[in-house]
Amino acid sequence: MKTPAAHKLSSILTIAALELAFFSRSAFAQTLPDFSAPDELKKLSVEQLMDIDVTLVSRQPGKLLDAPSAIQVVTQDDIDRSGVSSIPEALRLADNLEVAQQNSHTWNISARGFNTDLANKLLVMIDGRTVYTPLFSGVFWDVQDYLLADIDRIEVISGPGGTLWGANAVNGVINITTKSAKDTQGSYLEAGGGTELRDFAGVRYGGTLAPNVYFRVYGKYSDYSSEVLANGKDASDSWNMTQGGFRIDDEAFAQNKLTLQGDTYTGNENIPTGGGEKVGGGNILGRWSHSFSDDSNASLQLYYDRTHLAVPEPQTAFLPAGILTDDLNTYDLDFQHHFAWGEYNKIVWGLGYRYTGDVVGPAPTIVFSPAHLDQNLYSGFFQDEIKLRENLFLTVGSKLEHNAYTGLEKEPSGRLQFNLTPKQMLWAAVSRAVRTPSRIDHDLSEPTGLPKPFPQSILNGGPNFASETVIAYELGYRAQLGSKLTTSLSLFYNDYDHVRSTTPGRPGFPTFGFPLVFQNNLEGHTYGAELSTSYQVLDWWRLHGGYDLLEEHVRVKPGQVDFSHGLNETADPKNQFSLRSSMDLPQNVDLDTDLRWVDRLHNNNGPTAGSVPSYFELDARLGWNPTKRLELSVVGQNLLHNHHPEYGFPGPTREEIERSVYGKVEWRY
Amino acid sequence: MALLSKWMCFNVKSLAGWLITLVLLISAGPEASAQTTVSREYQVKAVFLFNFAQFVDWPPEASASPQAPLIIGVLGDDPFDGFLDDTVRGEKLNHRPFVVQRYRRVEDVDGCQVLFISRTNPDQLGHIMAVLKGRSILTVGDTEGFYQGGGIIRFVTEKNRIRFRINVEAAEAAHLVISSKLLRLAEVATPETE
Repeated sequence: MKTPAAHKLSSILTIAALELAFFSRSAFAQTLPDFSAPDELKKLSVEQLMDIDVTLVSRQPGKLLDAPSAIQVVTQDDIDRSGVSSIPEALRLADNLEVAQQNSHTWNISARGFNTDLANKLLVMIDGRTVYTPLFSGVFWDVQDYLLADIDRIEVISGPGGTLWGANAVNGVINITTKSAKDTQGSYLEAGGGTELRDFAGVRYGGTLAPNVYFRVYGKYSDYSSEVLANGKDASDSWNMTQGGFRIDDEAFAQNKLTLQGDTYTGNENIPTGGGEKVGGGNILGRWSHSFSDDSNASLQLYYDRTHLAVPEPQTAFLPAGILTDDLNTYDLDFQHHFAWGEYNKIVWGLGYRYTGDVVGPAPTIVFSPAHLDQNLYSGFFQDEIKLRENLFLTVGSKLEHNAYTGLEKEPSGRLQFNLTPKQMLWAAVSRAVRTPSRIDHDLSEPTGLPKPFPQSILNGGPNFASETVIAYELGYRAQLGSKLTTSLSLFYNDYDHVRSTTPGRPGFPTFGFPLVFQNNLEGHTYGAELSTSYQVLDWWRLHGGYDLLEEHVRVKPGQVDFSHGLNETADPKNQFSLRSSMDLPQNVDLDTDLRWVDRLHNNNGPTAGSVPSYFELDARLGWNPTKRLELSVVGQNLLHNHHPEYGFPGPTREEIERSVYGKVEWRY
Repeated sequence: MALLSKWMCFNVKSLAGWLITLVLLISAGPEASAQTTVSREYQVKAVFLFNFAQFVDWPPEASASPQAPLIIGVLGDDPFDGFLDDTVRGEKLNHRPFVVQRYRRVEDVDGCQVLFISRTNPDQLGHIMAVLKGRSILTVGDTEGFYQGGGIIRFVTEKNRIRFRINVEAAEAAHLVISSKLLRLAEVATPETE
């Protein structure tokens, strides 16, 4: 209904809606290759081998079978063949994520639950650059974009990653990696259009600056039409985004690799309540990797990132409309060193520093105080992988992180990997992770405009808001069974404490329990399972299936109070599954389909329970390569319904996602 | 875990039980070596290695006997992850079967005919080449500076495609005769052109 920022910020204000009710009454891989056996390749002559594009299937540095965590990888091939048009859509290809599209430009994405409007338990990085906003520790997915053809892979780890990645890697880590400029040489053009994705175009050129110094430049534009409301009216949420960038990779020296990259974007997003949101930003990142020896290397990374948003906030009963702005500048310095210590220990340690300067321009109805906040984040981590036996590895480590709100945070973990056979692995882990306070938790207020002695604010940040914590117990199995089947199963039990609550103020006249204040009065546990399986049915036909089970039990701590009765920090399906089919048909035709089912979602509004019905949806793509340089495709998304809701409290103005069809032309030379 | 109610315990246990059953079932299942996590790049390189053997003549002293298997060695981390084994499985050249062997250290390398040298740093490469010097082994690699030490064939990725360069001088020093067919497809390299 509103833009992402508007939605996230003001749906703190699911609570605000309940304020109305109050005043009126008494007031959440991939891993199979294109050739399951070498026979196809062996038929080729040396000349023909030299003509195979080896970038079609992305590289996977760490062998997946060796990764003792609930990791899934979405490859470039997966992205290309599925016909997704954006990063949030691509994340649907990871079985261990929940992706709910709220409107044309708003997605709620989480792992292992807690997928609210203010979802805040996922750490997301693009080429090592953290993209969550300190405003609410969540991600504005609309502005996380790239030329999809130049993405190498997306690694999705469900479960805590705090030991390596730090605060916010509570329920998962998403690592989006773009290709080296070395692998994107030449020109690439794409263009197309359709019903929802009305028109789009992208271009990239890659060349060399000097021997073994590669570069690329790219630009893209996308224009999306509006979705609809439950009552059938137009949602007026059309939007467009323009982005450009570059990447330079200096591989002239075997021991020293340098990368310099940057992006800039600007977008306009219409919102149903009138007016439009403006978003913009840019970043520049430099990374130096040095290899001391085979088993010792270090990297130093520095980036600057800037984001801007301006969101119209509608008027309320006693206050006029206005524009909320946010300008964030981030500087981040990161050092990491991997080395083998003797025969049995592989050590990685690192140090990090981040400065964020955030300036919020208040709207009459949303204020952050202080308006300008500078924060320093210092961190260090150490992890040791100990070889206990030939097939048994123990990894222990911890991160120490100092933030201005809660001081020093410790995020230790222990992880055991047991290789049953070279093709089967069992792993188990215990980890602690924290979600440190964000500006919303601490600095927010929502003025009412009422005269005293009536409440001056609906909702305030809590001055004593503490970090949310989780202790996670995980068990996993990963296997390659025969030449055609790969599977992974992860089980988890998460124990949460100090989860965000909203505590009401003094009841009765004249305050009526307002303002609500953010506190940490919830606790709870979740458990579940994630199953992911790929099967090469025939040389030309591959199936992939994924299933997630999630049980959430969040409750108010004994003797404490939560205005929403513990109903507002979760909005997740108990079950979801997907089945993907990829067929290589004759005449260079590819046919891919993706069927998914998402269970009923509890989308509550304050203490009022609501839900989104379960649904089946189907995406499909038909691609044809008449020549090596040219690819034509037709993509259909959400084909089973004219429109269906994926998120939001029930009501006539809940947004629904429409069927979408688009055509695309790609040209490489 | 203290918060586990009995009911929860039951559910978690039954999931764990299910997992163990699955593992047992699967452990008893088929065990094959095809590996699907290896990248297309190394799949293609594996098949190249197999092909190279057919374009090279080794001096008789390079093999224990004329019927001994042709050994393709991999020194260091194995990037092929089983795909090389699958590539040569059942294959013969002049009635000689192929065998893949892996070596941790260059000192372990014995009678192999083709040796793929995994990504290593230049210091180590110098040491490896010094040890291999004068032996009739077709050394193949894909690292920068591979020729300085005396490596013979180097893979290079250009415009997303795999090409290879042959250092003819190093091949001659190793007493190997490389077919002109292969030489035509390769770029000729010398340590200086690197």
